[in-house]
Amino acid sequence: MVKGNWALFEEDFWAINQILQALMRSASARSVMLIDKTGQLINSIGEPPGFDVTSFSSLAAADFAANAQLAEMVGESDFATLVHQGTKESLFLQVIANRVILVILFDRKTSLGLVRLKARRASDELLNVLQRLFDKLQYRNEEVAAPTLGADFAAEAENEIDSLFRD
Amino acid sequence: MSLINYSSREINCKIVYYGPGLCGKTTNLQHIYSRVPQETRGKMISLATEMDRTLFFDFLPLELGQIRGFRTRFHLYTVPGQVYYNASRKLILKGTDGIVFVADSQIDRYEANIESLMNMHDNLAEHGLSVDKIPIIMQYNKRDLPRVVAVSELEKELNPNGNPYFESVAFRGTGVFDTLKLSCKLVLKQLG
Repeated sequence: MVKGNWALFEEDFWAINQILQALMRSASARSVMLIDKTGQLINSIGEPPGFDVTSFSSLAAADFAANAQLAEMVGESDFATLVHQGTKESLFLQVIANRVILVILFDRKTSLGLVRLKARRASDELLNVLQRLFDKLQYRNEEVAAPTLGADFAAEAENEIDSLFRD
Repeated sequence: MSLINYSSREINCKIVYYGPGLCGKTTNLQHIYSRVPQETRGKMISLATEMDRTLFFDFLPLELGQIRGFRTRFHLYTVPGQVYYNASRKLILKGTDGIVFVADSQIDRYEANIESLMNMHDNLAEHGLSVDKIPIIMQYNKRDLPRVVAVSELEKELNPNGNPYFESVAFRGTGVFDTLKLSCKLVLKQLG
């Protein structure tokens, strides 16, 4: 397991993108998101949601975290999937590699059974991609330190912060 | 933990405001929300009780814009300060890149600060994080009130590691942006 910062590279991003696209089509979902367990959005595809995706990601991660604690209290290691079923819109959430959360937003055009089935297949594929990514990051962390952004990055960021956050 | 997406060229970092109940963590975020340009901030989310006490967390996303071609975002969180919400505090702390510890300067909250700080150390340790590795900024809040502990005393008791500190009056905004700016800078420095 990779600790600390992690990075997503071009090839991994597109591999993930492809899996999510296929999942969305085969499950007839409205949109599919992949979220880091700390609440940061990794990728979102499908209909542009009519809500704030950043806030949504943060709440989805909190939802999962709270449920993981509930699972532990009742003697489960975790609840790997969560379903929130509404009258029109529903959500299916599944944790993958103990690191990211797959979120599927779907409506009455499809069924929970189909979504669950397709999610399971996509999760296996995503797991492979993520495992490869984590191995790569592990190697980089050990051999050449974490991915860096260059020496000028911090200096430029400082200027930006100073100009933005003023009383 | 920060997430760098080289494909969509985005960087996301997480900063958590920690501290005892009613010390001013939410007030910090509310002030930031009210003062930053609309295009910089996202929606502020508060999961609070009917009495406006934080139940789970407050969340405020801030967008710095493009830095060296990377769209850089900070996600600010507060934890619920009340002692019995520790399970929630632990969850929010997970994966944080920086911490702002907001201490209540009032004499009768002295012990509560110490207790909260010890609790933070315990929770960090449970996530395998060390206070030496994460940038921590101390903020001594409510400096305008009459019965407050001297800053030198707070420094001695709460900040033996010599982390940077600011004095603040969060509801007026004094010290709020100084704290935020330094925290953001230290977090990004770690990425550089």
